[in-house]
Amino acid sequence: MSITKNQYVKYALIVLLSIGLILFTQEIKLIKNPESTPVTSMTYLGLAFLWLFSMVGIAVSDLSKKVPIKIIQDFPVLGWVSISSLIFCLTSDLFIEAIRAVDFLSITTPILTYAGISVADRLTDLRKTSWKIAIVAMFVFTGTYIGSALLAQMGFMFSGK
Amino acid sequence: MKGKLLYLIIFSLVIVTISEFIGFQAIKIGSFTIGLLPLVFAIVITMILGMQTFRKGIFKKVYSKGNIEFASKYLIIIMLPLMARYGADVAPKLKEIISIGWIFLFQEFGNLGTVIFGLPIALLIGLKREAIGATLGIGREGELAYISEKYTLESAEGRGVLSLYIFGTLFGSIFFSILAPILLDLGFRVEALAMASGVGSSSMMVASSSTLVARVPEMEQTILAYAATSQMLTSFLGTFTMVLLAVPLQKFMYSRLARRKK
Repeated sequence: MSITKNQYVKYALIVLLSIGLILFTQEIKLIKNPESTPVTSMTYLGLAFLWLFSMVGIAVSDLSKKVPIKIIQDFPVLGWVSISSLIFCLTSDLFIEAIRAVDFLSITTPILTYAGISVADRLTDLRKTSWKIAIVAMFVFTGTYIGSALLAQMGFMFSGK
Repeated sequence: MKGKLLYLIIFSLVIVTISEFIGFQAIKIGSFTIGLLPLVFAIVITMILGMQTFRKGIFKKVYSKGNIEFASKYLIIIMLPLMARYGADVAPKLKEIISIGWIFLFQEFGNLGTVIFGLPIALLIGLKREAIGATLGIGREGELAYISEKYTLESAEGRGVLSLYIFGTLFGSIFFSILAPILLDLGFRVEALAMASGVGSSSMMVASSSTLVARVPEMEQTILAYAATSQMLTSFLGTFTMVLLAVPLQKFMYSRLARRKK
């Protein structure tokens, strides 16, 4: 399934909305706490790069669907965007400096706002689950997290870091 | 529909403003300090206001069918700048990450913790075949696809994975933003927890790594770089770990534990 030109325009606008929200959040953070990351011309440049790399990632993800290897086809667009951005950032420090002028936590608040809205209609699905699953879910989430953390901690101990 | 989208955007600006003004709240419970970030308030407020009882007047316009569809369909696109930001955090640390690459690979096995911790509890409280679906992984798209292919979603196993999916979607990020600081207080290294944050769900990874950043701000770059790398690794290797390791392990444990129960 390849992405049509119309969809690219739509995605471009939504990513634009997303970086607009980030800028707004960073400004609000500054009103609340003047000590937080300032909005400078580098911030604007950083936001532009974030927009650009997101679009590059979408295009790469689109192309990857044509590769006849399942693991590549299944790799999420989120991952492709990180990889695309990583490659650009390895070529020049300007990308890194500009993007790091965008406050990290300001990126997260608007995303979780939309995440909250997106699940609004699924709250009723909770009736389909049970308290038993809730308990299991907590153990499952804790299990994967503690499992990985323990192994990583051991790894650091063995390597003497 | 376009007009209503405007309501959604303005609403999101208001929610961001409220959440940011509540700000970072550190709550002390005994010897643990749980830090609640604005992102937690943002998701909690939008979920509460989204309940049917509140959908009157202006909220009916905000939470219109089209707007909720827009948010769930394009949430992934809205997240893209965040994923691009991770690239800038990983790049300067790439050498360091490769030098400890084996630790990244090693901790991927920790994802089996879903079976090891989850399955005994699930059987203990009386779940049967649902436990298969509910403990194979954290119940994201990968497990959903595997279970539905093997058992269909109408089966007991399917109900298990679907329930977990619903739970993770609704409460996953809130849960991880509480769990991460607790483990930090228990003495885990922040680097280890950063790596563990790459559980395979982006919103859970964001919640966990952001909370760690808020607690240990001087390690921001390392935390974000490790979390993002581990997340990418899980996206690549997740299916293999599940099919080659989690499934056989689960079968083995299930048959042992279920037999002992009888």
